Amino acid sequence: MSQLSHAAPTEDRSDIPPTPPVELLRVLAVLAEPPSPEYARVAEAAGLGPAPTASEHGDVFLFQLYPYASVHVGAEGMMGGEARDRLAGFWRALGRTPPAEPDHLSALLALYASLWEEERPEAAHSAIMEQSRAALLDEHIAPWLPHYLARVQELAPGFYSGWAELLSRILAAEADRSGPADRLPLHLREAPGLPDPRRDGGDAFLAGLLAMVRSGVMITRADLASIAATLDLGLRAGERRYALASLLSQEPVGVLRAFAAEARRQGAMHELRTDRWGAGSEFLAARARTTAELLEQLAAEGFDPCEDPPSKSAARVGS
Amino acid sequence: MTDLNELNRRVSAAKAEVEARGETFYPGASRVHLASFPPKERWNDWVELDSKSWPNRVEKRYMLVPTTCFNCESACGLLAYVDRDTLQVRKFEGNPEHPGSRGRNCAKGPATINQITDPDRILYPLKRAGARGQGKWERVSWDEALDDIAARIRRAMEEERHEQVMYHVGRPGEDGYTTRMLAAWAVDGHNSHTNVCSSGARAGYHWWMGMDRPSPDFANAKVIVLVSSHLETGHYFNPHAQRIIEGKKGGAKLIVLDTRLSNTATHADHWLSPYPGSEASIFLAIANWMIQERKYDREFVRRWWNWQEYMEAVQGEQSATFERFEQVLRETYSEYTFEFAARESGLEEDVLREVAGVVSTAGTRLATHNWRSAGSGNLGGWQVARTLTLLNALLGALATEGGTFPNSWNKFTPKPPRLPHQRPRRWNEVLWPREYPLALMEMSFLMPHLMRDQDAYVDVYFTRVYNPVWTNPDGFSWIEMLTDESKIGLHIAQTPTWNETAYFADYVLPMGHASERHDLTSYEQYDGQFIGFRQPVLRTARERLGEQITDTRQVNPGEVWEENEFWIELTWRIDPDGSLGIRQFFESREHPGEKMTVDEYYGWIFDNSVPGLPEAAAAQGISPLEYMRRFGAFEVASKVGQVYEQAVSDSELEDVRVDEMGRVFTRAASPPSPKAPGGTKIDPDEEGRRRVGVRVDGEILRGWPTPSGKLEFWSRTLAEWGWPELAIPTYVKSHVHRDNLEDDQMPMITTFRVPVQIHTRSANSKWLDEIAHTNPLWIHPTDAARVGVEKTGDLVRVQTDIGYFVLKAWITEGIRPGVVACSHHMGRWKPEGQEGQRMGMMTVALDQQGSEWGLTPKQRGGPFSSSDPDTLRVWWTDVGVHQNLTHAVHPDPISGQHCWHQAVRVGPAQLGDSQGDVFVDTRESRAMYEKWLEMTRSADDYSPDGTRRPWWMLRPVRPERDAYKLPVKTEPATV
Repeated sequence: MSQLSHAAPTEDRSDIPPTPPVELLRVLAVLAEPPSPEYARVAEAAGLGPAPTASEHGDVFLFQLYPYASVHVGAEGMMGGEARDRLAGFWRALGRTPPAEPDHLSALLALYASLWEEERPEAAHSAIMEQSRAALLDEHIAPWLPHYLARVQELAPGFYSGWAELLSRILAAEADRSGPADRLPLHLREAPGLPDPRRDGGDAFLAGLLAMVRSGVMITRADLASIAATLDLGLRAGERRYALASLLSQEPVGVLRAFAAEARRQGAMHELRTDRWGAGSEFLAARARTTAELLEQLAAEGFDPCEDPPSKSAARVGS
Repeated sequence: MTDLNELNRRVSAAKAEVEARGETFYPGASRVHLASFPPKERWNDWVELDSKSWPNRVEKRYMLVPTTCFNCESACGLLAYVDRDTLQVRKFEGNPEHPGSRGRNCAKGPATINQITDPDRILYPLKRAGARGQGKWERVSWDEALDDIAARIRRAMEEERHEQVMYHVGRPGEDGYTTRMLAAWAVDGHNSHTNVCSSGARAGYHWWMGMDRPSPDFANAKVIVLVSSHLETGHYFNPHAQRIIEGKKGGAKLIVLDTRLSNTATHADHWLSPYPGSEASIFLAIANWMIQERKYDREFVRRWWNWQEYMEAVQGEQSATFERFEQVLRETYSEYTFEFAARESGLEEDVLREVAGVVSTAGTRLATHNWRSAGSGNLGGWQVARTLTLLNALLGALATEGGTFPNSWNKFTPKPPRLPHQRPRRWNEVLWPREYPLALMEMSFLMPHLMRDQDAYVDVYFTRVYNPVWTNPDGFSWIEMLTDESKIGLHIAQTPTWNETAYFADYVLPMGHASERHDLTSYEQYDGQFIGFRQPVLRTARERLGEQITDTRQVNPGEVWEENEFWIELTWRIDPDGSLGIRQFFESREHPGEKMTVDEYYGWIFDNSVPGLPEAAAAQGISPLEYMRRFGAFEVASKVGQVYEQAVSDSELEDVRVDEMGRVFTRAASPPSPKAPGGTKIDPDEEGRRRVGVRVDGEILRGWPTPSGKLEFWSRTLAEWGWPELAIPTYVKSHVHRDNLEDDQMPMITTFRVPVQIHTRSANSKWLDEIAHTNPLWIHPTDAARVGVEKTGDLVRVQTDIGYFVLKAWITEGIRPGVVACSHHMGRWKPEGQEGQRMGMMTVALDQQGSEWGLTPKQRGGPFSSSDPDTLRVWWTDVGVHQNLTHAVHPDPISGQHCWHQAVRVGPAQLGDSQGDVFVDTRESRAMYEKWLEMTRSADDYSPDGTRRPWWMLRPVRPERDAYKLPVKTEPATV
């Protein structure tokens, strides 16, 4: 666990309660799980109205926005890998056995809630728990979850939009409580940038675009569908990378420009968060800016990323 | 905008409301609640994805039926996952409703699935077809077996030979059923294994508190002292281990005494690795330091120790002040310095001083525990528990939050229906010989020798899920006894699986595993009282689906039968017309003249003897029996607290008399109790008033169930029955003390378990066997070099007093130099030509030449073909060595505990030796028995009142008072 330094909180903290709404946090964590018979009762208690169907849950969490830190902060843009191992190590550093999916949104929120609940009044213990919570929040939640929730609010139907809004407010209060981190976590500092297709090949470029830690952009199937509709292109059903490659092959310049616009839009979202979330949001905003500039440059050059397949060695993502 | 804190309050309130209804707020196992379980509302129809269908998502529907693990005595709660399509059990997981285990299990719980599907298990009643031990068996019907056994027992009863019927039990795994049955039969034949298990420590506790087991409140302790391997391997280890860890999380300091680097030692803040048998010296040094430095609770000692009795009886001071007692206490214990303890234990004085400092900070939150370990390893091992409890008694940390409770206050054994009013009339001298009048439990492991001394005969001998040939020391003497039909008339082995004792039986009767039998359990695992229910889960599952099951054999594999129904049926066949007066106790109350059913037996208990259960069941709209079948456990009370400080109510005080010791007697009858009768028996006063409590500082309080009503720092019982020099907590040099060993001998520790095994009971589990299947000799590198053992895996020969065994060495720094260790687990075997278990068992040749016995492995473990394809994947062949065969009996002359530690000579294996070889001369074992017998002080010579045993002391199936009287010396002893 790294020692993160914090800038002084920028806002008046007098309205921050002494402890967060821990049980509500746990309820919201549960609601990210597939609906079960108990789900309706839990949802009702949280004032979120009628429980969603399994299909609605599947659309948000299985098809659009994957609730795993590793997808969004891993250089591969996929579940598992080094990013998940890092989270497992974090659980172990706290003296806990990591669960099967230690980077799942629900697991992280439940862990955060536990770190509040288990705090004892002794100063030494309290300090350890506070440090543990700060590390969890700054290193493993801040780099992806606020933006993830913003995207859920944009894309999901009523129930999950409300869910994301509530959770965003709790996290914002927690960020205000600890103040913005003024130093990047090590794994972000070491995260590779977006590959340039002119040098690294199209495959690596596409994979990098879909990894938020490299591109600064969280792209969903819905985003790709929107681009396809705007440009009147055919959307191929399949994984995001396959669909994106298909769009680029139909009209590379238009897709690059549309993608660049999305990168600028999401970059602006990151920038709005920097006061509260500090260095992590600044980092993502910069990545999104760089991505937009590269895409605009490629569009100006009329470069087709899918036309010139790179060598296999150059294409290895994250190398 | 919704206020988040207000919303949080609403959510918390909703959760509290749901949980108050006994329901689960959150969904089942999830990432959010890592230790959560299927919500109990959905146990009847629980859906999971079928792992074997992966990657296809195939849903499996289960009925979750609770039961109780039958492996170790922790009796943790299990949930059987019954496949609703096939009505077979697919797996076992933890029962979150069980207050002791709280849904958590060790490896042995889930491994129950291996046991019930074991391809070699015994499925039908078998009768021997050749000579006893010859290995020829024929399948018989239950009717044939029952009629034969019943006829013999009836004949014994008609001829007043009740003591020739004996029931020998290992870990009972149940409360009250069998002792009730033996009382109904009026048979003094209850023979437990306890003297090879925990009697040593239990005797130490008994003479302090009147109760014989500790129940530490680990979770709330400030300091924990363990003399056993509690984490992973100790007694009640799963319920205790989780609470020890909770205590540690709460900041408790953990002090562990273990000569080995055990799992528990690895978690300790202070690991002490003493020379075996010196543990009491450490506790005495800590106690002395606390006494000299006045770091003890003077008020507690003044109020609750029997110091006045001690001062009067021992010091001859009738009106001594407490200050005078303190002065005597300081003088008495002053010899137990840290220097003394360091010399005895081999530990450094500074370490002992530091540990004493930690203990003294505990206040009333000192949780201590000794079960086996040093208590069962050493001559005088009972003083380990007695000196350990001295620390609690000095700090007042008894029955306090975070302290140590006596078992009876943390245990609930409900009263059964038709409680027998009769008791055995004849004393069983084979089990309770006069030489051991203070033995806490039956002298079971001496049976071959006592039978010979007394020329005794046992007509009907049950070994019930017990394996004395393998478990007890001196197993070849057991074989000699069991094969002698002039000693054992009929031997019935009740066992789910083959064992070394069953080979020498006349009948082998298949009994059920955890999911195939009814039992009621309650154990002291925290400051609370609960009952756990074991049930045949397929019976319950089918009944939920509307079937009527009248006999558990209808759902169990083969003709496996549960014991409850078996004993009811056997009793009816012994006494078909009721003329013997025993059938009445197994007759239905609802339908007189008909057999009592298990539903009626347990239904009556749950309706009438478990406070709070009827109300809890009614809240759910079900009967108490249905409640227990559905949830498997019920907590009767929690936070029981300091019972001894409770004031006796006025309604119990009538024509009160207070004697000179402050004991209070009353004419008021005992209030009715839902608990089964038991515990110590304190005589009434001369005018027939019962003792109700003690007067302390003018108040009449409940006190302790000891003769004095106080904590017995000084035991009048020990003093009057021949042991005045050991009547206070003091030090006894072990039989493996350095002074008692030859130069080339070392002490060997044998009492520790392998974490995932439980004696012989779990050996038919393939999962557990794969993890742990052998028992090498732990030896320190310096010792290995000294005796010429070069590397781990080399064969060594270990020479005991009566023979030797051969095994592999494990050279490790995890044991104290100068000491070796070998777990008593492993080394399972079957004789050539016998049917039997193949998993984890070797096939051996037994060679007897007069008193000399050899055991030579012919085929070790390895793969074998069976209905389970996994058995072809067995990759290990080393299944260890049966070392207990080479142990002579070492009965402690006071507690009766077998003292397990051995004095051994270790050297490289000799020409012709092979792994697993055993040699024993039973003539030598007989000589050792006689040598230890010389240490005894017989009731014939020392009984202060002409009885065989102090009446007040605990005793299973207590006989009538008259049977306690010693026979007139001119008459032959009753056998």
